[in-house]
Amino acid sequence: MKIFKRKNKKNLYLSDMQPLNFVGKVNLGLIYAVLITWSIIIIWPLYQMIVSAFNGVQGKYLRLNDKFEFSLKHFEYLFNETLYLTWVKNTIFIAISTAILTLIIVSFTGYAYSRYRFKGRKASLMAIMLIQTIPLFAGITAYFTIHSIVSAVIPAFSRQMMLILIYAGGNIASNTFILKGYIDSISPELDDAAKIDGCSNFQIYRLIIKPVARPMLAIIALWSFIGPFMDYLLPRVLLTSPGSYTLAAGLFTLINDFRTINQPAFAAGGLLTAIPIVILFISLRKQLVSGLAQGSVKG
Amino acid sequence: MKYKEFLYDEIGNKYERKNLYILELARLYEKLEISTNKNEIEAEIRELKQNKDKHFYNIKLKEYKNKEKEFLKKLKEEKSTYSKSLGNSISLKMKNLKVDLFAAEKKQKFYSDYTGLTYDAEFAYERNKIAVNQLPDIIEFLVDGEEELNQLLNEKDNIDKENENKVKIDIKKFKSEQKQIIDNGISRIKSMRKEGRISKRAEKNEISVLKKKYKQAIKIKSFDLVEKSNKESIKAKKHEINVKLKQKLWVLKSDIGDLKRKTPIETDNTRPIMPYLTFLLPGLGQLLNKQYMKGLCFLIASLFIYLIAIPYALGYGNYQGDGIAGLISLAQDGMRIDKSLIFLIEGILAIFLVVIAFVAIYLSFKDLKSVEKKKIEGIRPNNWFETSKRIKAEGFPYIVSSPALFVIIFTVLVPITTAILLSFTGMDPKHQSKFGWVGIDNYKIIALGEGLAGEVFWHILLWTVIWTIAATTLAIAIGFILALLANNDRVKGKTFFRSVFILPWAVPAFISIMFFSIMFSSTGALTEIMFSLTGKLIEVKSNPTLTRIVLILLQGWLGSSYIFLLSTGVLQSIPEDLYEAADIDGATGWQKIRHITLPIVLFQTAPLLVSQYAFNFNNFSIIYLFNGGGPFNPTKYGNLAGSSDLLISYIYKLTMDNQYQAIGAAITVLISLGLMFFAFIGYRNSKAFKEERL
Repeated sequence: MKIFKRKNKKNLYLSDMQPLNFVGKVNLGLIYAVLITWSIIIIWPLYQMIVSAFNGVQGKYLRLNDKFEFSLKHFEYLFNETLYLTWVKNTIFIAISTAILTLIIVSFTGYAYSRYRFKGRKASLMAIMLIQTIPLFAGITAYFTIHSIVSAVIPAFSRQMMLILIYAGGNIASNTFILKGYIDSISPELDDAAKIDGCSNFQIYRLIIKPVARPMLAIIALWSFIGPFMDYLLPRVLLTSPGSYTLAAGLFTLINDFRTINQPAFAAGGLLTAIPIVILFISLRKQLVSGLAQGSVKG
Repeated sequence: MKYKEFLYDEIGNKYERKNLYILELARLYEKLEISTNKNEIEAEIRELKQNKDKHFYNIKLKEYKNKEKEFLKKLKEEKSTYSKSLGNSISLKMKNLKVDLFAAEKKQKFYSDYTGLTYDAEFAYERNKIAVNQLPDIIEFLVDGEEELNQLLNEKDNIDKENENKVKIDIKKFKSEQKQIIDNGISRIKSMRKEGRISKRAEKNEISVLKKKYKQAIKIKSFDLVEKSNKESIKAKKHEINVKLKQKLWVLKSDIGDLKRKTPIETDNTRPIMPYLTFLLPGLGQLLNKQYMKGLCFLIASLFIYLIAIPYALGYGNYQGDGIAGLISLAQDGMRIDKSLIFLIEGILAIFLVVIAFVAIYLSFKDLKSVEKKKIEGIRPNNWFETSKRIKAEGFPYIVSSPALFVIIFTVLVPITTAILLSFTGMDPKHQSKFGWVGIDNYKIIALGEGLAGEVFWHILLWTVIWTIAATTLAIAIGFILALLANNDRVKGKTFFRSVFILPWAVPAFISIMFFSIMFSSTGALTEIMFSLTGKLIEVKSNPTLTRIVLILLQGWLGSSYIFLLSTGVLQSIPEDLYEAADIDGATGWQKIRHITLPIVLFQTAPLLVSQYAFNFNNFSIIYLFNGGGPFNPTKYGNLAGSSDLLISYIYKLTMDNQYQAIGAAITVLISLGLMFFAFIGYRNSKAFKEERL
């Protein structure tokens, strides 16, 4: 027995897949080649960004450099000479407010549209969906003036608040749709049981629907939170002073305005901004995609 | 309309009329219909109507009403003296209940004499009878509850401090004893684990069970402290009183509601005229119908209409504009600082306010009309208890959606309306603060490709379409092929590849685009690499064709991640047996992809793929951040646009940089109409929308 086992161990084919023939091996090699090439195409620019951010030899303009000297001077410049921290603070403020506002509004509408049959339901949903296909962009001429009109009545109404309202308003329809689809999948018998026990509508939402729909609510909150980090256009239009910029608008001044241009500092700032978001995305990859897919399949 | 002989309630039960005068009239009308001698009966009716006040029933009714008025006046005084006599020592709840009971007893007695005369009196009688029956019970409950509560509160004040301290020491002792027990238990379990008699999991569970037991024992023991148990009891008692009282009152109100449904009402009206008389002031009619709370709600709407909406529409309280009139004049003959744009937007705001006002008026009118109509039938109007119950059930979706509606009006509808109206004005660099209506001139300019702003429209549209199709398709193709390759069973390191391929999506797009822009600048890394490869200095950003190609490739880099993720998800969910079946039928690898994989992936991700095309059609950031829409090519693109500008970035340049707002708005409207058309077809055909459960 022992001899038999030892003798055949090297030749024993243990995989449950068929052994590859020559063409198969070449194919597999090609597959690896493609995957590795694309990985390099993705990683190289990002690697360049990281290297330039830490390279003390780089001047105001980035260039391909063989010399590398580790230094944190671009980060120092970023923190001391620019308003980077203010931009971070602004962006986080806007992002959190947008997420909270969106959650409050959408959890109500999603619940109502999923559980109630009321007059004008289908028509209003259709109307909102159509209106929202118009890019937020369409209103840029009006946003500015609307803000001055409102701030004449309520002086505390800042441009950033206007931005938050616009982000939240732009998210309502699609998020309502996503949440509605998710709540549809929760059995209505749960509601009925709660109703028999004497729950009011709000209690049903708070005690039954919200805990079950929490994963989807988290995704909606996350997407609305990330939105302000990614958007460049609206902050650029609405916010006028560098002190109120968001990250996207602020970092752009480091590469397009000749007075403040500093490309390595931009790379450093971009790196700092990207890292938390990348970690967030990679760790929550599946949930984020499922949230997206759900919304579209239902839509 | 004529009077009917009988009254009906909501579910169609028939009731005799008690108002003899109306009954007589109703009978006469009925006779009129079948009789041949119409003149005589008509004369009779006329006479009856003329002598309405002298009719014996009406005299009696008037007498009753006067007495009722007097009685109610007296009752009010009696109630206040009674409430004073109760003193201040009892709780407010109790006082109210007792006063209610007192009034109910008096009312029951008064109305009992008139139950035969009119349904109003009968209703009042029965209603108070219910109250008289149920209120003593409720009061007794409250008295008992408060007594017990007072007892508990007394106990709280008389806690024996010495005893408490003793108990505290006792508890401490108990705690240490228990601690001893639990420690023994834990060490026993640990030794069992060491001997290998139980698993690690069992050890963990056993220990947590022991700890829980210990905590519980301590908690139970801690209630030996009178102070603590007393506090707990007071809390529980208070809660019990509140909940039960609410419950009992609810039963009372529901009983009254039932009674209301079973008792008809009689009215002199034959036509609902009140809604027409009071429609200008929502709430007034409801107040006259004695629906006070509902009336109050509508009165608030009235305040909005007369203090905010209408003054604003007339131009009062505007920031600068002139209400709706400003929409027509557009500040043409205004002062120098008056801006047409502000007049336009304030006009639009005024219109929205007026629309809301009209909705309020309509709702009030409709509500009042239905109440009046029901009253003529014989159905009593709802009281606030029933109305609020109904609002909570049926109005819930409207109430909770109203914040969403508000935000959407403010941030979406008003700006879009502004853009639409703006596209019919002449706002351009020469007419920034004052501009007028120009009709469809802007659209003409665009369609015919005239003028500085219009001549490049068709060029840009063509490039936008090419860009949308090429960039999106490239990204989809790359993403799908990568997903397919990485999903191969023999490939190792899938997690690594998947994590890398997600990066372009995870890194905020503006950062990667800006960094690519740096690398493609004349001194950038990529430019230098291309220089060393080809020996020529290739400046991508100053060559239109190269810029366009690089942009498409860049979007392939950026967009493929997302498609990769989506397709990977779908690929993993395709059942293996489909492929096995294909293998048995002798399908080649390509055939399997062509006939199994592609259809499934495409079908499942189709809506998302379509939205990717829409996204790229409006992909402002990549164009603007990469090269600002450039390079510029004045001979072909004029001074306003660059050769890689999309419609969306062209609009941005027109509106923000060059102040051709009107033409920008016109192009926006055209784009939006196109997108809406495609979206409409998409949504209408989507399965979810057709199904009922949407």
